[in-house]
Amino acid sequence: MMPASQRGPGRADLTAAPAPRAEPLDWPAALVLPGTVQDEAVRRLHELMVRAARHQVWRMRDMLHGRGTDFFDDLANGAADEALTVLLTKLDTFQGRSRFTTWAYKFAILQAATEVRRQAWADREVHLEDWELSADPAASPEQEAEAADLAAAVAVAMSTALTPYQREIAVALVIDEVPIDVLADRLGTTRGALYKALHQARGRLRASLRASGHLPDDVAGGAR
Amino acid sequence: MTGPRRLPDQGVHDLILDTEPWLSCEDCFALMDVYVETVLADPHSRAMPEMPVHLAGCPACAEEAQSLLDLVTAGEPEPDSGDESTA
Repeated sequence: MMPASQRGPGRADLTAAPAPRAEPLDWPAALVLPGTVQDEAVRRLHELMVRAARHQVWRMRDMLHGRGTDFFDDLANGAADEALTVLLTKLDTFQGRSRFTTWAYKFAILQAATEVRRQAWADREVHLEDWELSADPAASPEQEAEAADLAAAVAVAMSTALTPYQREIAVALVIDEVPIDVLADRLGTTRGALYKALHQARGRLRASLRASGHLPDDVAGGAR
Repeated sequence: MTGPRRLPDQGVHDLILDTEPWLSCEDCFALMDVYVETVLADPHSRAMPEMPVHLAGCPACAEEAQSLLDLVTAGEPEPDSGDESTA
């Protein structure tokens, strides 16, 4: 898996991207006017949601081993239907800060991605366990001494600076790479709550490493 | 505690990633469409600095933002063209 710092849509990837085109339809108005205009707008919006959901399922198809085109289509269509329903309940939150279609697409993408991850992990158990971590001594000869020292310090900080819950969440999300929405679903919590726990754990680890001299006070870290 | 178990090299960096300024997944979703269009208009824009920070630390949000970016970049099908998917 790629490092987290390389997974996102970094700006350097985007230099050749074209600017968005103008919006051809006043979607919010069309979607609230009862009658044929509304019917047509909903039909067209559903088409766009299907397109976005298919796009997302296709991107993540490698997670769905052994599944075929029919399964992907069913998954995408179901996600598009659900996303359209959600979108229509949130129509009044559209502020016009982006094109309507860009705003709409994200609902289908979120729904489809969440469903793919749920399906991919459907047969896998997820256990929260309070692991003690250690730097791998076998890897040390090939590692730079500084990196090995940092790894050992992180392992210690995991044990001393985090609560058991923070440690369990950090291990599940970062080391076991359980998708955050899958973990949230299994634990009966939200994606946002888990990300906050991870954010706080990262902050505690960084503070501990600064205190032990493994991170300088003025270094912002890898996220920027 | 159970263990010990090995801490993978990549885990070291992901665990100590600086994810300040704080942004929740919910707020990331709320801003995602505006962020994508901002980046498309100016890849070097420094607006919304909390977004790339969050995306670096949240693989799920990063996947969805990159997907939205790719979809918008691909453009939209003409009405009734039958091109419903970029797949």
